[in-house]
Amino acid sequence: MGAVVAKRVLGSIGAIFGATVLAFIIMRALPGNPARLIVGPLATPHAVASVSHEIGLDKPVLTQYWLYISHFFQGDWGYSYADGKSVKALIGERLPATIELAIFSFALTMICAVVAALLVTYRQRPVADRILRGVAYVGFGTPPFFVALLLLIVFFRSFHVLPGPEGRLGLQAAPPPTVTHMYTLDALIAGQFSTFWSSFVHLLLPAIALGLSSFSFIVRLLRANLLEVSREPFLTVARGKGLRRWTAFRRHALPNAFLPTLTAGGLVLGEFLAGSVLIERVFNWPGIGSLVFDAIVKQDYAIVQTFILLSAVIFVLVNLVVDLLYAVIDPRVRIPSVATA
Amino acid sequence: MRLRGIIGGGGGGGSSRGGATDVGQRRREQVEPGRAAGNGLPDAARSDMALSVRNLSTVFEDGQRTVHAVRDVSFDMRPTERLGVVGESGSGKSALALSILGLIEPPGRVVGGEIHLGGREISKLSDRALGAIRGKDIALVLQDPMSALDPVKTIGAQVIEAIAAHNPEMRRGAARRRAAELLREVDIPQPERRLDDYPHQYSGGMRQRVAIAMAIANNPSVLIADEPTTALDVTTQSQVLALLDRLVEQHGTAVILITHNLGIVSDFCDSIAVMYAGRFVETSGVDHIFLEPTHPYSEALLKCVPNPERLADGPLPAISGFPPDLAQLPQGCAFQPRCPVGREIPECRRQPPRPHEVRGAAGAAIVECHFAEQRIKEVKV
Repeated sequence: MGAVVAKRVLGSIGAIFGATVLAFIIMRALPGNPARLIVGPLATPHAVASVSHEIGLDKPVLTQYWLYISHFFQGDWGYSYADGKSVKALIGERLPATIELAIFSFALTMICAVVAALLVTYRQRPVADRILRGVAYVGFGTPPFFVALLLLIVFFRSFHVLPGPEGRLGLQAAPPPTVTHMYTLDALIAGQFSTFWSSFVHLLLPAIALGLSSFSFIVRLLRANLLEVSREPFLTVARGKGLRRWTAFRRHALPNAFLPTLTAGGLVLGEFLAGSVLIERVFNWPGIGSLVFDAIVKQDYAIVQTFILLSAVIFVLVNLVVDLLYAVIDPRVRIPSVATA
Repeated sequence: MRLRGIIGGGGGGGSSRGGATDVGQRRREQVEPGRAAGNGLPDAARSDMALSVRNLSTVFEDGQRTVHAVRDVSFDMRPTERLGVVGESGSGKSALALSILGLIEPPGRVVGGEIHLGGREISKLSDRALGAIRGKDIALVLQDPMSALDPVKTIGAQVIEAIAAHNPEMRRGAARRRAAELLREVDIPQPERRLDDYPHQYSGGMRQRVAIAMAIANNPSVLIADEPTTALDVTTQSQVLALLDRLVEQHGTAVILITHNLGIVSDFCDSIAVMYAGRFVETSGVDHIFLEPTHPYSEALLKCVPNPERLADGPLPAISGFPPDLAQLPQGCAFQPRCPVGREIPECRRQPPRPHEVRGAAGAAIVECHFAEQRIKEVKV
């Protein structure tokens, strides 16, 4: 196990290093001089040179790279050129909204996918299977922002059952006292049930819009894996021992069928955590995606480069956790077989 | 493995017993030659049987097609009897095994028949009630040791699962000791330590031993072994068979050995049922089949067995044609389109043969062939 952990951690460090190099090169290759952007179009060349010196643009490239990553990992992410606030504060303000939406959407996606896949495999419902395959087909092929608009038209404009694009809370609700930065959890901790409900219903549509295509992907994967595993002889053997059908299925089919889904789930969660620009725009969600969208429009260099690295680190870390979990669940990953021993 | 004298087995219906000379008196004493065969045992006699199957039929339906995998199969097994079921792939052997255990999954369905296990009718029981029987009174060993064990659970967990399923009150430590004991019984070295290993750390032969250990965990009266040695190399095969032989001998277990290897049947079994297109077309003591295969299909199967004495005769013959589509069975005898005897005969084409009881030099047999009586006088191998 130790060897597996070391290998995966080293691999992750390598991936993050690659991401920093890539982000650094892309940022330098983009047209436009950041110093010129900071001082404005009317500034003198002397002012531009002085700002260049200040932000280190006149230093050798390797030194610049070193400063870039050392500052990033020290949490010194610089200041927004647009409004002078610290990037750390800006991201810290927006990240919880994205994390809350990502975790909620991820949980919803996984729970729905597992329930649906069990319904059509373990329960063998052919009609439900056909419907599910249709939904998965359409859900996988439809762009999320379009799904978001459709959801808003149906549930907000036509039937008024769910709130419209007004962010994390209704207009009457005030944010709950901050503990975890997740409004749903904080509201529950503070005992403000109306605030909890408001934040919960505000999460629903964005979560569905964000999760639908991943749901489609995972449900197809899980369905196929469950069907394959339920034909495995070891399931018949387990039934032959006298186990009930569900017991045999739960103990032997589910863990084996979940293995490939775990990897897929890691990719999905990593993607959700990096924030979705379009979904956050459509629902006015005050998350990291809309922050980055604004930053790109304003060419706010410091925010964009921090975001690129941050999302790379989050993505790599989530997948590191998945790889380690995989090794815990699947002994074939951590223990060599007889053939190679 | 064992010498086999030509002592006349009993009647058909699987109730015969060949003379197994080196297995000791205990088994020989139970031989009752000349027993009335098959389909009409009175109820009292049936309750003496370890397993008694009547008119078992199983189909698989997928909307358009109905595949008749098991058709009207009947047989009896006395305690400690060993019945070999042979036939080509797709002849319904595995479906028969699963039907007996009540493990046919949709779209498959057992459509008729009775199964008496130790005198108790089990074919109409609920899944829960059957769960109390499976693994305890009747157990299963499957073909492929690579896939018969869950790759993500330890060997110990899987053996303990078989024990705990029928001993819910047993403590974990005791179950673990019992599991180690079982592994020792199937000749796994260092059983306590190897309990914590995973299937991929075991060799194929060892996995098959584990599968046998799980099957005998609760001392079942009937063991169904579906091609238990097919996936193993020849040396391992004979080791596993010797082990199985020893264990069922010790525990007094009746065995249904499903295989397409006639050599294994001749070594291991007392009686044999030749399965073709879902039916038992010939059922007899094991000697009868090898000396006087009466059904043309049995004869053809036997000719396909490699035999050093026949090397000079050129390449092994194959049975021409293909097994019938079990969804579109011929009107008459299912073997007729391939049969060297009945291919051109209108009766064979139109009329399904009824079971004929015949008696030859090596005992009685039940043969589903219009020419059974005629052939038993002619056949010489």
